[in-house]
Amino acid sequence: MIRIFCWTIVGLLLFLPGWIQAQEDFIPEDSVEFRDFLILQKEVTGLGYRFFIPEAQLPDSLHVDSLFQFSQTVSGFESRYFVDFTKAKELENTLINKGVSYRLDYIVLSEVVSTSAAQEYLVDLVRDADYPIKRGELKPTEDFVSLASQTPYSPTKQFKLKFLSDYRLFVVTVMIIFFFLVASIMIVSMLSMKAGKNKRENLQKEYGKRIIAPLTSLLFEKELHEIQEMELEEIHSFFPKNLLARPMYQHVLIDNIIGLNKKMKGDFKEKLKALYKKLGLDKISIKTLHHKKWDRATMALVQINEMDLVEALPEVKKFTNSTNFHVRSMAVATLLNLSEKVDLIFLRDQTYPLSLWQQMNYLRIIRFVGSQKGLKLEILFDSKNQSIRIFGIKLVRILGRVDLIEKLAGIAGGVSEEEKEEILETYAALGAYMETAFINDCLKSSNRALSLAAAKAAAVVGDSGSADILVDLIGAETVFRKKHSYLKSLYGVDKDKFAEVTLNNANPEMLELRNHILDPMLQNV
Amino acid sequence: MYSFLFYTILEVFGLIFLILSFSVIAIYLILMALSALEMRDFLRKNRFADYGDIVTSPIAPGVSILAPAYNEGQNIVQNVQSLLSLHYGKFEVILINDGSKDDTLQKLIESFKMEKTSYAYHPEIETKAVRGIYRSKNMSYRRLTVIDKENGGKADALNTGINIASLEILACIDVDCILSSESISRMVRPFMEETNKKVIAVGGVIGIANNCDVQDGTVTKYRVPETTLGKFQVIEYLRAFLMGRMAWSRINGLMLISGAFGFFRKDLVREVGGYFPKTVGEDMELIVRMRRFMDEKKIPYKVGFVPDPLCWTEVPETEDVLSRQRNRWMRGTIETLQLHQALRLNPKYGILGMLSYPFWSVFEKSAPILETAGIVYTAILLVIGDFSTVYFVALLLMMYLLSLLVSSFSVLYEQIAFNRYKDKNDLRKLIWIIITEPFVIHPKVVFWGLMGHIDFIKGKGGWGSMIRTGFKKAEDRKNLAEQTTT
Repeated sequence: MIRIFCWTIVGLLLFLPGWIQAQEDFIPEDSVEFRDFLILQKEVTGLGYRFFIPEAQLPDSLHVDSLFQFSQTVSGFESRYFVDFTKAKELENTLINKGVSYRLDYIVLSEVVSTSAAQEYLVDLVRDADYPIKRGELKPTEDFVSLASQTPYSPTKQFKLKFLSDYRLFVVTVMIIFFFLVASIMIVSMLSMKAGKNKRENLQKEYGKRIIAPLTSLLFEKELHEIQEMELEEIHSFFPKNLLARPMYQHVLIDNIIGLNKKMKGDFKEKLKALYKKLGLDKISIKTLHHKKWDRATMALVQINEMDLVEALPEVKKFTNSTNFHVRSMAVATLLNLSEKVDLIFLRDQTYPLSLWQQMNYLRIIRFVGSQKGLKLEILFDSKNQSIRIFGIKLVRILGRVDLIEKLAGIAGGVSEEEKEEILETYAALGAYMETAFINDCLKSSNRALSLAAAKAAAVVGDSGSADILVDLIGAETVFRKKHSYLKSLYGVDKDKFAEVTLNNANPEMLELRNHILDPMLQNV
Repeated sequence: MYSFLFYTILEVFGLIFLILSFSVIAIYLILMALSALEMRDFLRKNRFADYGDIVTSPIAPGVSILAPAYNEGQNIVQNVQSLLSLHYGKFEVILINDGSKDDTLQKLIESFKMEKTSYAYHPEIETKAVRGIYRSKNMSYRRLTVIDKENGGKADALNTGINIASLEILACIDVDCILSSESISRMVRPFMEETNKKVIAVGGVIGIANNCDVQDGTVTKYRVPETTLGKFQVIEYLRAFLMGRMAWSRINGLMLISGAFGFFRKDLVREVGGYFPKTVGEDMELIVRMRRFMDEKKIPYKVGFVPDPLCWTEVPETEDVLSRQRNRWMRGTIETLQLHQALRLNPKYGILGMLSYPFWSVFEKSAPILETAGIVYTAILLVIGDFSTVYFVALLLMMYLLSLLVSSFSVLYEQIAFNRYKDKNDLRKLIWIIITEPFVIHPKVVFWGLMGHIDFIKGKGGWGSMIRTGFKKAEDRKNLAEQTTT
């Protein structure tokens, strides 16, 4: 409540004085404008004026002028006191016509004052609400055209248009134009994209309908050798020449053939591949490899892979180290799949880090082709790229290549910690009991992650030495989770030592951990 | 002098509003363009993705699903069954009963034949006391772990789950969310595609399930909700997910992953200390903290986003519940931004400090204040006679058109990318909401946001005094039930 009251006071202080003071702003500061302003007021209580001519002699006509009633002073001549400001202009013109120089003196309460003092006097009157300001346009006393002809034109403001002089309105207009421009571009491009997409889809449907019938009849009516021996004219009777020249038709034809190839088996696959080549679609796929859009190039790789276009492999090889993730992934997958003898050198020499996604895809292919092509996985251990080396170790484990344990043991001492962790996991998975020395070395490592990985391996292939190291580690470990891991490993290596360590210990944590490890429902937790 | 000050203030405010209007337009146009590019790339990438492999591949990472539950007894069994039937090879479901006062735990024990284990619970992240950890001897439920703990709020419940999670990726979800069977494999993909930038978290789209048909844990028929508020939230969610988050994801500036469906790298979550339990914006706060940690350690990282429709939830359709939700969101945003003030315009934090944080501060946190200030400013101009009708109408019209454009585009994106709302009547209803929203619902949203600010200032929900007693949905339901009975 107090806060609201305070804010109200602040608001009033801020706004109310503004309302009262705002009247003063109508009193011009410029002397000429001030005089014009007084003309508009006609009379102001207590404020008057007179003319002063600072010369020794006065023209006779002015001497006798009853309007001015000049009287001589020490420094010149001064006129009588005027209160009607509307006459000021007329009086000034008379003096100008007589060719005398003069000065307009303001008089406030019988005292001659400066212009600023006269302004202050008026401000005080207005502030005290003793004088209401008259507002309005000054009426010209002379013909505008004749006045204008005397004064050469010079703009007082840079922008004569109100629109340009109001900067806010100008900025808003610019914003609106910008907004409409960008919005229009976006709407038009979206609509054109949508229209283009609809058009393409309709065309694809139309071509699809035209393609499926001849494709089916070719597959079911012709033998493989008949397709291989077909003449171009005969092919064109199934697939019209004019349509075959159209990129969209080619695209739909490729999609249909690849779609069928995925579903069909045996002889039909061969027929489709023969037809693919007969129709010259293989050349299109190879040409598209160099397309500037990565998705088109990747699609070309998919086509080469699906249709077993072995002749394209030298071209494909160029993309195995492409800057684009998808292009290089698909290029490697294609090479793994299609190469008659895979030496994996292209994979070893990849400079980009291998993601798990790529590893998963390559693993699927390697699993499939590995037995037929006798893959030399050990090549990957020589890669300069750590992720490739790790992938190589993973492959040994997943493919169960016990024959490569010796090779792994050969490199194990000089590789990075991450690779050592991978090797340890592999030893555990493959039951490499002869590598306990390495496991025990890793157990003693100051790198906690490596030590924990070694503990896991020791649980499977550890020996009494491992058990002794684990007991030491358990005693020194303060982090509960790690202590748990070491104890679990000890349980795997030597159940008696596990019992000894957990039962002969005053620390209640040990008993908790013992119960946890021995709980059959928590075997994997 | 007072007059000069008054008019100077008016001029300054006029200029500020002008700059803000211009920034809003420019930023939303940029966001639209960025999201369009991201969506295009995503659809292109998806053409070459085979998710079938992930399910069985030994290389795919394991996922621990963390689902906190508070008074969810009514649907808990179906929800857990739905989670256990997700199509993925290596995953575990950790259900955290956050001190429910109903029969949530009992139902779980009975339905899944759970037994109390001898789990040695020594938390790395401090949590409320755990009463028991349950597992089942039945092999069909081998993936399920139930934690029974004292009530401590959603963040505390999630922290308990984080403490016992055994797999590499954490999937933090709301237990009543409907997940697509493919949700894990799709969300795991960005983690698996990581090369030279560590993927620390991945966010997903939340769809609105109100009025939709659900079969076997998947939405089979989409319909827009029947209420105006429900329809408005469809538009709002499309704008937020398909436009906002897609765009921020493109420049790696995502600062929020929805608490109802977010995937995180476990080791990093543990390293930063898990969720901060004393804020109502725990989801946003965690992401900001993780990003801050990575920036400070100078480790290249990425926060991913998957726009596929994979998770659905029911949204509130009454003003009462929605206003509380928005109030809470606003407080959460303010709290997170206050907590991480060090990020503000700090080049050390890259995009996060120079773009994301200022954007959230001005266009999310301060939006209700600025909009209200704009109305007050206009009223002052009207009173003092300095009001320009042309200027006002032009600005208003432009902002309205921007709103139409942004909303229409988000619906268009949805139609191009996923085309879930196939019924033309549904589209017509959405278009009507787009047209009327700025006048009918937006003022309310601004008001709720403003109330969020006021509640934050009052200390409601601020850290220190704030201890949440449960999840909002359950809390809302309980309050509604109380209101109905009285």
